[in-house]
Amino acid sequence: MKKLIPIFLTAVVCAACTTPSFAARAAGTAAAAPVPRAAALPVPAARPAAQADVPATETDQTLHAMHDEMQRARTRLALTGVDKPFYIEYRLLDLDVRTVTASFGALVSSSASRTRFMTVDVRVGNYHLDSSNFISEDGFQGFLGSTGEVGIDRDYNSLRQDLWLATDQAYKAAVTQMALKQSFLRSLTKPPEIDDFAPTSPMVKIDPRQEPEWSSRNWDEEAREASVVLKDFPHLYGNRVNYYLVYATTYRMTTEGTTIRSTRHLAAVEAALDTQSDDGMSLHDYFAVYRATPADLPDAAGVSKGIAAAAMDLMALRSSPLLPDYTGPVLFDAPAAASTLAQVLEPSLSGARPPLAMTRDFDSFIERFGGRSEWSGRVGTRVLPTSVSVYDDPTLADFQGQPLLGSYDVDEEGVKSQHVDLVSNGILRDLLMSRRPGPDFSLSNGHARSALLADPHPLSSNLFITSSDALKPDDMRKKFLDACKDDGHEWCIEIKRMDNPALAAVSQEDFSEFVGSLGSGIANGDRAPLLVYKVYVADGHEELARGGFVQGLNTRALRNMLAVGGDPYVLTYMQNSQDGLAGTALGAFGDANAGIPSTVVAPSILLDDIEIRGFHGEPSRIPLDAAPPLK
Amino acid sequence: MMKRDMRHKAFALAAALFAAAWVCPAADRSAQSTPPPAVLAAMQDELSRSMQAYSAADPPAYFLSYTVSDRQLADVSGSNGALLSSTEDRARWLEVQSRVGSYQVDDSHKLGDRPPSWTSPGTNVPIDDDLPVLRREIWRETDRQYRAAAQALIKVKTSEQVQVQSLESTAPDFSSEQAHTSIGPRVEIHVERKPWEERVRRYTAEFSKSPAVLNSIATFTALSTNQYQVNTEGTKLAFGQIHYRLELFVQSKAPDGMDIERYANFDWLDPKDAPDEKTVFDSIHQLIKETEALDKAPLANPYAGPTLLTGRAAAVFFHEVFGHRAEGFRQKDVAEGQTFTSKVGEQILPSFISIKDDPTESSLGGQMLLGAYPFDDEGVVATDVHLVDKGVLKTFLMGRSPLVDVPHSNGHGRRQLGYVPVARQGNLIVSSTQAESFPELRQKLIELVKKQGLQYGLLIDDISGGFTFTGRGQPQAFQVTPLVVYRVFADGRPDQLVRGVDIVGTPLVSLTKIVATGDKPEIFNGYCGAESGSVPVSAVAPAILISEMEFAKKETSTDRPPVLPPPAHDSDATKGQAQ
Repeated sequence: MKKLIPIFLTAVVCAACTTPSFAARAAGTAAAAPVPRAAALPVPAARPAAQADVPATETDQTLHAMHDEMQRARTRLALTGVDKPFYIEYRLLDLDVRTVTASFGALVSSSASRTRFMTVDVRVGNYHLDSSNFISEDGFQGFLGSTGEVGIDRDYNSLRQDLWLATDQAYKAAVTQMALKQSFLRSLTKPPEIDDFAPTSPMVKIDPRQEPEWSSRNWDEEAREASVVLKDFPHLYGNRVNYYLVYATTYRMTTEGTTIRSTRHLAAVEAALDTQSDDGMSLHDYFAVYRATPADLPDAAGVSKGIAAAAMDLMALRSSPLLPDYTGPVLFDAPAAASTLAQVLEPSLSGARPPLAMTRDFDSFIERFGGRSEWSGRVGTRVLPTSVSVYDDPTLADFQGQPLLGSYDVDEEGVKSQHVDLVSNGILRDLLMSRRPGPDFSLSNGHARSALLADPHPLSSNLFITSSDALKPDDMRKKFLDACKDDGHEWCIEIKRMDNPALAAVSQEDFSEFVGSLGSGIANGDRAPLLVYKVYVADGHEELARGGFVQGLNTRALRNMLAVGGDPYVLTYMQNSQDGLAGTALGAFGDANAGIPSTVVAPSILLDDIEIRGFHGEPSRIPLDAAPPLK
Repeated sequence: MMKRDMRHKAFALAAALFAAAWVCPAADRSAQSTPPPAVLAAMQDELSRSMQAYSAADPPAYFLSYTVSDRQLADVSGSNGALLSSTEDRARWLEVQSRVGSYQVDDSHKLGDRPPSWTSPGTNVPIDDDLPVLRREIWRETDRQYRAAAQALIKVKTSEQVQVQSLESTAPDFSSEQAHTSIGPRVEIHVERKPWEERVRRYTAEFSKSPAVLNSIATFTALSTNQYQVNTEGTKLAFGQIHYRLELFVQSKAPDGMDIERYANFDWLDPKDAPDEKTVFDSIHQLIKETEALDKAPLANPYAGPTLLTGRAAAVFFHEVFGHRAEGFRQKDVAEGQTFTSKVGEQILPSFISIKDDPTESSLGGQMLLGAYPFDDEGVVATDVHLVDKGVLKTFLMGRSPLVDVPHSNGHGRRQLGYVPVARQGNLIVSSTQAESFPELRQKLIELVKKQGLQYGLLIDDISGGFTFTGRGQPQAFQVTPLVVYRVFADGRPDQLVRGVDIVGTPLVSLTKIVATGDKPEIFNGYCGAESGSVPVSAVAPAILISEMEFAKKETSTDRPPVLPPPAHDSDATKGQAQ
C-alpha cells in the first residue's frame, strides 16, 4: 500500500491538510433550519447496519476482500471508551490509462498504466451529528492514511491487508475528529441544526467488469498523423496533441448494505496550440473531442481536420486587430452560450453547505471545494427570465442523436441518478444534492460526483437550458442588431467560442501564467472569450478581434436576457469543481485540473449591458530570432 | 540528507529518474570513435544560431547551454504480496540555460536574503528524432529562458542590495570552464518486466508471513539516461548511464505506537549482477528479524558517552556531518552557517583521517558506487577531490558557482532533473591510517565506558537519513536516525537492542572526538536530497569510535498499533482465509 499522491499537488495543497484525504472531508453542512425534501427516513441507531452479502459464486476477489474486511471492522473494530463506527464505506478504483502525446507529427510520450486506489471512510456519531464535515487545524496523523494505492492483482490477501490498515486509520481519525468537533460545537452560541449525513436506501448493483481494449488501433501512429498537419502552420510556436484512453471500474461498499461495481470509460483527444501576434500578445487555441470508448474516437484524419481548423482560427486571431473596451448587447452563439452558462450556473446549483471550520484560514479553501453556492437560500424566487427553464438529467443517454457524456446510473455515493428540475419558468425550484444536507434540502437527488476518489460534491451531469420563447436564428440576429442600433452602437459584439485555458495551455507553466493574469477575476465573473467578432450594424459584416474579457458576468446578469435562441448546442466538456475554469480529461484521473465528464445543452443567448474589457496589459516581446523551419 | 529508500511512489519515481551510474568508457578514450548523434547536431546548430541573436541583444546573453536528457525507465513495484505497478516509459527533457550579464555578475546573482529558485524550468520534447521539431522546441525554450534571465538581471542591477556582504559575495556568479568534447555510445536497457513482477510479489508475500510487518514494498527500477549537452563555451557531450536497483521496505509499529521502518537496497550496473533469490530472501529474513526484535526492544534513555559506529553507519554520519558542509555554494551564501568557510588549511579532524570525493570510481572492492558519473550536470568533467588530508581541510566540492579562492568547478555540480545544479557529493570516501579490527574497537569502547564510569556504551549498526541544518537561522546541529542501536555493557552482559533514539550534537565537536577507526571500508549507496533535488550518492567509511556522542529521545507517534490483528493472522476471523 502506498499513499495516494496526485501527479500535481497544486489543486489540493493546503498548509493545514494533515492527510491526503483532508480534501475528501471538506464539504458539507452549516447552520440553518433543515427543510426536508420528503419525510426523513428514520435515523438508525449509532450502530452499523448489516452489509449486503457477496454471492458465493462471485469470482471477483475484490468484492470478497472488501466484504470480509468490512464485516470484521463492523463487528469488532472498537477502541475502549469511545464511540464505535456507525458507518463504514469502502471505495476502490481500478484504473487503466493509456496516454499518448505528439507534437508537429513527432511522438513526445506514450505510456500505459494500471493502478488501483482505495479510500476508506469511517464515521462515528450518528446521522444527525457525525465526525465528518469539520475542518480542524490539527487532526489525526496516522502513519499510512485511509487513502492509498493498492495492489493491481485483484487478489484477496493484499487488499484485505490494505483495507485493514486503512480502516484502522480512518476510525482513529474519525474518533479524533469527533472529539475536536464536539469541543468546537460547545464553543458556539448556536450550534448548526442541519444533519451531517442524509440516509439513503441501500443499492446492490454489480455490473460486468470490462477489460481495456486499445490494441485495435495504433494510437502512437494516430497521434503522429493527427498532429503532423500543424507543420503547415509555420507561425505556430508550440503544440501538444494528447490522447487519453481510460477504463475505470469503481467499487463501493457500505455498512448500509450498498454494494456496487460499475465500469466507465472515457476516450479523449485534447490539443493545445499557441503563438504570439506580431505585437507580442500571447494567443492560444484548443481542440477537444470526448467519447465514451476508444472505438468511438474519430480517426486520425478526423482529428487532424479539427486541429487544423483550430490552428486556422488561431492564425486568423494572430493577425486580427485588438478589441476595444465595450459595453452593450452581446450575442453568444450556442457553443459560447453553452460554455458560459456552464461556467456561471455550475457553482450555483449545489444545495450542500460548507463544512464547519475551526479557523477562518480555511474559508478560501472551503470555497474551492463546493462551499459557495449563489442560489442556496433562494428557492422559490426568480433567478432567470420567466421563459427559461433549467434541468439536470444524468439518466439520459443522448440528445437528438448526440451522446451525452455526463450520464450515469448511480452517483458517487451509491444513490440512483435522478432528473432534477432546477429552474421552472425562471423560478428556482430545486438544487443538486449529495448526501450532505443543506439549508434548503436534506436528501440526496443522486448528484454526488467526483474525479478519481476525491470527495463527492453535488455537480451537474447533463445540464439543459431551454426557453419557452425561443427565437429562430434570423429573428435572433435581427433582435441583436436592433438592440445595437437602439443603443447607438456602430458595431456590437458576437462571441462564437469561449476560451478553455486549461486545455489550450501547452505547458503547466503557461496555464499558471494565464490563471495568474485572471487574478481574482473568475470569482467576480470574468469570462474569457476566444473568438470575438465585431458585427457592424450598417451591413451586418463581421470582423474578428482579439484580447479582452467579459466582465462581471455572474448569475445576476442572467436574470434578464434579451432573447434566447432555439438552436441547442451539445457541449461536452470536463467539469472542474474547483477554480471556475473547465478541466481536462487528465483531470478525470487525478490531475490538478480535475475534470468530470459533463454535458451542457444550451441555445444561443442575447444579453444586454455586458461589459468587455479590451487588452490593457503589456504585450511580451516577440522572439529575437526567427523560428527555425518546421520542414 | 541521505535516504536509502523512498517510501512514497512519487518521490521514488522522481529519484529513480535521475539515478545513474557510469557505464560509458572514460570520456577521452571514447571521443574519437562514435559520430555525434543527430540530436546533438541539431542542438549544436540551434545553439550557434541562437548565440548569434542573443549575444547581440540588450542585455546580451554571454552563455547558453542546452541539455537533453533521454530517459528510459522500467519500474516494477509490489506490496503485501501483490503487484502494485509495472510501467515502462521513455521521455526526453530539454533544459535551456541562458545567462545574461557577465561571469562576475549575472542574472543568477543572489539578492539579500531572498532564497534563490532551486527548480529549473524545462520541457518535454519529442522522443522521435524529428530534428526540425526538436529545434522548434529549443528555439522556444531559449527565448523563454532569455526573457526570464533578462528580467532577473534588471532586478539585480537595480537592487540596492547588491552590496558587499562578505568576502565570498565578491566571488563571481559563474565560473568559466574549459570546453570538453566527448561522444560516448548510446546506452539502452532491455528489461523483461514479467519475471520482476513475479519477484516483487514473492518478496513482499514473504514479508507478510510475519504478523509484525504491517506494510511492505519491493521496488525494482531499471533506468537508462542518455544525456546530450552543448554550451557556448564549446562543450559538446553525449554520454549514457545505466542503473538497476531493488529496494525493500517494511513498516511496523511497536506496542507504544513508535513507527518501525527497515530498508534494504541492491544496486547494480549489469543485468547479470542482479542479486539472486537467496541473497534477496536472506535480506528479507534479516529485515523481518530486525523488525520483530525492534518491536519488542526497550526504549533507550537519553545518553551521552562513547559510541561505536559500524562502517555503514559511519559513512552516513560523515555524509551528513562533514559532506554537506563541504559543498562549495554554502560557503558564499550569507544565510548559511559556513561551518568550514574559514577553516581551509586548518585541522578539523584527527590527523589519521583523510576524506575525498571521487565520482570517477564506479566500484570499490568489487562493490558498486552509486555516486559515480563521468560529467557533472553542468558539463564539467568529474574529478577526484581531496577534501581533507591528514585531518586538514583542503578545499570544497565545487559546481560552477565559484569562491574567491576556488575559482573553478571540480565537477560536482549536480541535480535531479528539474532542479538547478549546485555542488553536491558523489562518492564520499573516508580513509584512515590508524586501522584497527572491529573486535579491537569494541574492546576500546568498553574501556572508554569503564573510564567514564558508565554502565554501557552504544553500538550503532545502521543509520537512516537525517536532517542536517546548515542554515544560519538554525542550530548548527545534525540529527540522524539510528535504526539499529545496541547497548554494549561494560560488565560483559550480552548486547541489548534498543529503539527510539536520535543522534544530536554539533558537527565540529563530534568530528574532533573520533578516537579510533576500523580497518574495513563499508559502502552506503543511497539518494541524497538537498537543494538541487535527489541525487544518487555513495558514502564509504570504516567503523569509527567516538569518545562522546549525544543521543536524544526520538519523537514518537501517538498513533497506536492497529486495533484488530492482521487479517491473515486473525485466529478469531469471522471469515477471511486466503481464497
